[in-house]
Amino acid sequence: MTTRHLVDPAVLPALEAFPPLRATRESLPAIRAAMDGIARSIPVPSLPVDTQTVLIPASEGHHVRAILLRPQGRTELLPAILHIHGGAYIIGAPEMSVPELTATADQLGVTILSVDYRLAPEHPFPAGIEDCYTALGWLHDHAATLGVDRSRIAVMGESAGGGLAASLALLARDRGVYPLAFQLLDAPMMDDRTCVRPRNPVTGEFIFAPEDNHFGWSCLLDAEPGAPGVSPYAAAARETELAGLPPTLIATGALDLFVDENVDYAMRLIAAGVAVELHVYPGCPHGYVIAADAPVSQRALQDKRNALRRALAI
Amino acid sequence: MTTRHLVDPALLPLIDSFPPMVLSDQTLPLIRAALPAMVKAVPLPDLPVAVSDVMVAADGGQRSVRCMMLRPAAMAANAPAILHMHGGGHVLGMPEMNAGQLMQWADALGCLILSVDYRLAPETRFPGALEDCYAALGWLHDEADRLGIDRTRIAVSGESAGGALAAGLALYARDRGEFAICFQHLEQPRLDDRTATSADPNPYTGEFVWTRESSHYCWIAQLGKEPGGDGTSPYAAPSRATDLTRLSRAFIGVGTLDLFVDECLDYAHRLIRSGVPTELHVYPGCMHGFGMARESVPARRAQADNLAAFRSAFAL
Repeated sequence: MTTRHLVDPAVLPALEAFPPLRATRESLPAIRAAMDGIARSIPVPSLPVDTQTVLIPASEGHHVRAILLRPQGRTELLPAILHIHGGAYIIGAPEMSVPELTATADQLGVTILSVDYRLAPEHPFPAGIEDCYTALGWLHDHAATLGVDRSRIAVMGESAGGGLAASLALLARDRGVYPLAFQLLDAPMMDDRTCVRPRNPVTGEFIFAPEDNHFGWSCLLDAEPGAPGVSPYAAAARETELAGLPPTLIATGALDLFVDENVDYAMRLIAAGVAVELHVYPGCPHGYVIAADAPVSQRALQDKRNALRRALAI
Repeated sequence: MTTRHLVDPALLPLIDSFPPMVLSDQTLPLIRAALPAMVKAVPLPDLPVAVSDVMVAADGGQRSVRCMMLRPAAMAANAPAILHMHGGGHVLGMPEMNAGQLMQWADALGCLILSVDYRLAPETRFPGALEDCYAALGWLHDEADRLGIDRTRIAVSGESAGGALAAGLALYARDRGEFAICFQHLEQPRLDDRTATSADPNPYTGEFVWTRESSHYCWIAQLGKEPGGDGTSPYAAPSRATDLTRLSRAFIGVGTLDLFVDECLDYAHRLIRSGVPTELHVYPGCMHGFGMARESVPARRAQADNLAAFRSAFAL
């Protein structure tokens, strides 16, 4: 069955023009190079935001690269967002998101740090999540010099970055050193068990297919997905105790491969007393926001920014 | 445990002023008696929308169902229409409760709205109310040319028990195959009688405005028996339907502290898996009936989502 008739007509052309990922270990370098080229071709809006690369020393001896975006001319303490890019845990870089993040930093008056975490399969779990935690620690420890309000730090990510954001919120809660004010999970890839569950008949036709999901999780876990014993810091949906997590926004599409795991996580957060805002946009498969000018994409962007404003008291 | 700390601060005045109301055979007549004066006390917006009563024939002309009709002065030819069902647990309420909001919808959308004064329980048990609403749906279809509305753009809408009727009507209309519905707009709908008897209730829902006890009372009033057992009709409790395919596109909006949040998410999820175009919004810190705080930020957001969804469904 095709789900083409269910897709929002405003996002369909962009989705159909996008080549299927179908990554393998052999094709991964070429895909990464191509994605990198696409990312760097998106123009960065000319806005009063300072952009710099920071290299954060990590306890394992390496440095975590991150891009720091700071709105100019602000003297007051600003809230901050730790941003984590998407790419199925195997591709991507902060540069993909810099154009949108620059506009967010400018519009909201917020400092943003976007992490170039280590990717699988070269670096399976927990390399990526530990890099994100290192970046969160750096943001907290340098809050005074950065002019950041430590009580207003959010974590945000899309797709695999949303999964990492959710896991980071769990890790931060459990380690108890760096509090988070908010988690923004945009179509988060958060449950490896989706790979072994009965297929949702309306999801996974465009851009990101079940095969891609299986490959991404296999690389991250360095094992077959869906087996017992996977850490919630790798797949946040594995966590059974969700109390004590920060207020949450989950946004996803009704045709997103992750809609089942996203709605389930939202339900369990609500039942744990967490303040959850959930938006499921009709007619939207994973990655629909590549149709950036479509009304639904604009609306989703507004919903995200409005949620950040409320959560960070902007 | 109280969930007050989870309430959006903008809604605290609402819960503090809302009378602690547990529905029972003793309180129901009192609340019903007080309602018309409460409704009249709310001023209506000054909008160019004509409000009138129409009587719709039911049961082959043996009786009639009163409906409130709203018609914007600037209604285009072949306009869309909304069949609206008010809330009130099936035991309370009248179309006039929502007159102000429906006038705003009619004005903003340029559409005709018919809100049904369906028969209430316990005097009239299921399926009486649904039959009244179905008669009103049939009337809209039959009179479409005279009313100047587009038969292919008739939506059903309701909040709370009215959302149950709207969802039930979408199922019933699909199964009967007589009258098309283009969109089901469900605000905090009450969909599942099993919530009232759940052995493992969500500890964060149902403290304010609409409680598990009131809901339990209303299900008994509507069904004439204990809820949660075998054989509840899906037209009364849409969550009981096992086949959700071929339903009209859907919108569900609900708050995290609403007694109905779990059944709403579950129903939305099942609609999605059944190939029904579905939009879902969950509002943090919002309890059942938060829309009553009409000028609050969360209520205004929900209203914006409502209007955007109607515009999309009506291709406006």
